[in-house]
Amino acid sequence: MKVSHKTVNNTLYVALCGEIDESCAAEVRAKLDALFEEDGLIKVVMDFAAVTFMDSTGIGMLIGRYKTLKKKGIPLLISSPKNAVDKLLLLSGIYEIVPKING
Amino acid sequence: MDNFMSLKIKAVSENEAFARSAVAAFCVGANPTVDKLDDVKTAVSEAVTNSIVHGYENNPDGVVEITAILSGSTIHIEVTDTGVGIADIERARAPFFTTKADEERSGMGFTVMESYMDSLSVEPNEPRGLTVRMSKDFAASKKATE
Repeated sequence: MKVSHKTVNNTLYVALCGEIDESCAAEVRAKLDALFEEDGLIKVVMDFAAVTFMDSTGIGMLIGRYKTLKKKGIPLLISSPKNAVDKLLLLSGIYEIVPKING
Repeated sequence: MDNFMSLKIKAVSENEAFARSAVAAFCVGANPTVDKLDDVKTAVSEAVTNSIVHGYENNPDGVVEITAILSGSTIHIEVTDTGVGIADIERARAPFFTTKADEERSGMGFTVMESYMDSLSVEPNEPRGLTVRMSKDFAASKKATE
């Protein structure tokens, strides 16, 4: 799982690349939480376009990141999930707290 | 057409991708749609994760066995471990139930298996462990719930 990022106008864009499951969830969590430490962030957008697989371990990880950001008052958004990942995100109901936006 | 495969893996999460991909590759013979193949891949990943994280509590000495039988257009999958098992299976199957909330677990594993597959059964093993059986008909039209 590769995590790349850039910050534009105080919005942190994080692009995830690869498969999200138990084998990388802890590592992704640590990387994201480190990025969330950046000063002055007003929004975080996670780009799922290059995520080729995700199971419910990824949902747990996402809910955790939502909670971490919520404590800081920073909204989290998801963009561009592939069909299979989108289906899982929909099933989980997470879009109610982490809205999906178009790429 | 009847065909089968059986796979034994060490209970480490690095093996999850291999397990789900192997089952998916095996299913290709039945000509599934991409969506249905993704469903099976995800369901296998959930079952194997359960065995590793909950059944063996991340003890790498455990072994997870995955068997798949292709019967006509239907895939039957069995995921078995000899871990600690589940005390209250009915409760464990409820959406969002998790014994490891402090680890950021979603509690959605069985919900995913249930909604992605046509059937799901979860049974204790003798003397210990758990067997998850699930099946999906690749020829059937979409489930009414979708």
